[in-house]
Amino acid sequence: MTTDESNGSAAESLDDTIWDVVDAALAGITADPERGAQDLIVFIPRGELMRGLSALKSSESLSFDYLRNLTAIDWEEEGIDVVYHLYSSTHRHNLTVKCHLDNDDLTLDTATTVWRAAGWLERETAEMFGVRFEGHPDPRPLLLPEDMDDTFPLRKDHPLAEIEVLQGEGIAYAEEAFE
Amino acid sequence: MTQPPPVLENEFETEDIFVNMGPQHPSTHGVFRMVLTIDGELITDVTPYLGYMHRGAEKLCETMDYRQGIGYMDRTEYLANFNAELSYVMAVEQLAELEVPERATWIRMILCELNRLSSHFMFLGAFGTDVGVFGTAFVYGFKNREIIQDLFEEVTGDRLMFAYFRAGGLAWEVPDNFETRVREVLRDSREGLQELDGLMTQNEIFRARTEGVGVITAEDAIDWGTSGPTLRASGVPMDIRRDEPYLFYDQVDFDVITGDHGDVFDRFYGRIREASESIKIIEQCLERLEPGPIVPDRLPRMLRTPAGEVYTRTEAPRGEYGIYLVSKGGNRPHRLKIRSACLSNLQALRDMTIGGYVADAVVILGSLDIVLCEVDR
Repeated sequence: MTTDESNGSAAESLDDTIWDVVDAALAGITADPERGAQDLIVFIPRGELMRGLSALKSSESLSFDYLRNLTAIDWEEEGIDVVYHLYSSTHRHNLTVKCHLDNDDLTLDTATTVWRAAGWLERETAEMFGVRFEGHPDPRPLLLPEDMDDTFPLRKDHPLAEIEVLQGEGIAYAEEAFE
Repeated sequence: MTQPPPVLENEFETEDIFVNMGPQHPSTHGVFRMVLTIDGELITDVTPYLGYMHRGAEKLCETMDYRQGIGYMDRTEYLANFNAELSYVMAVEQLAELEVPERATWIRMILCELNRLSSHFMFLGAFGTDVGVFGTAFVYGFKNREIIQDLFEEVTGDRLMFAYFRAGGLAWEVPDNFETRVREVLRDSREGLQELDGLMTQNEIFRARTEGVGVITAEDAIDWGTSGPTLRASGVPMDIRRDEPYLFYDQVDFDVITGDHGDVFDRFYGRIREASESIKIIEQCLERLEPGPIVPDRLPRMLRTPAGEVYTRTEAPRGEYGIYLVSKGGNRPHRLKIRSACLSNLQALRDMTIGGYVADAVVILGSLDIVLCEVDR
């Protein structure tokens, strides 16, 4: 539960959001709210994330039974955020849950126990960002080749290859070819 | 429809067989591969393999400025390009706080619904081939799709890769005869839908082939994160156009089509009925279309957004097409994630297929109407 002192100003601007319901459902779990451009964003620390996600799904007033999207954002030196976009098919409201991971320990429990939809999305996040999802039932890469496990393409330090690397050196551009 | 295998009096030692379908199988609509484990004719397990079309679209979009990204959206969802572009430009507009003029919004709506129509025609044709109505349905479906595609070419100058939407509005004004042309196309499409309906829905063999096949329950469909016609066929009335209206969907009248059984037939028939709803929506849009500007008065040449994030979702023909855009400020996204409807729909394939027959695998896969470019991105 967030203390009122630290979020006194934030709480005021959260009046028209579902924060009070979320706050009640997440009793006993550290949760930091933030107003997003569209949906409410809640930060939950790693240790409490799975408890938090299960509570959000099972709470009757929230029932986030639909996982829209799961991905990660690379903040370079500041670590990686894993992002969950939740939706309730009955109440028709949205919530974004974020969990911050430090670069030296990119592991997180799998959310497949809460929504099976997380399965492939976590596989993609794992191969693209190098986040390890503990307890994932099928941790193979999804889109990338199986032997490509030493580099993570969507990290910011992974450069795009030069066109010569992709197509071979000495490939003439069109104008030169027709001269 | 699935029956347990007959029990033999003298048990033989049997082995499961692995059958590799794809990636070059005509019914995989691109390059999708699944390995079926079969016991006689029964499917006991399915392992899908993706990624043959992965081109790093998200990474590329993160290196381009906001305007360049629009063209890339066409290349992810190449059968519903307008719907894909729309999610992207809406994300940029929300971050940059751009106001879209009324006329541009109505035109966007018309084009997106027409694109839904053309995409569903493509599905109806291709699905006919999957089921075994070889040729006929395909020709009818493509004939009708081509009529709509011609209109798109007249408007955007390109048959497939439109890049016509801009953050803030549209690239240029539609041709003078736009309204008459749209009405012509609608008339043809209505006829085309009736033809396909008569050809397939009322065909006894087709129904025997699709009814009760590949069933998925509403709870499972939600849990797997499916969306669009696939989810609604299971009886879940979820439609972003109605639940979280964007554009002017709150000002038009249309029905959300749901099925009762969650089988292949419901997924097919839902699309036919949805296509008729699209025609209804477009007619209402045409009534409201009035002259006016198509871009805001003050649109910067190089668009910059403040730091922030937004997740826009729109109801594309295959389901929820979402764009998660994170900006650190500047003229390009820090992170751009494309939420693919087909990827989530495909996840549910395993549930639908196991316990069915080998011959049904193609039909079930076809009923999901996948676009592999969107799945692999």
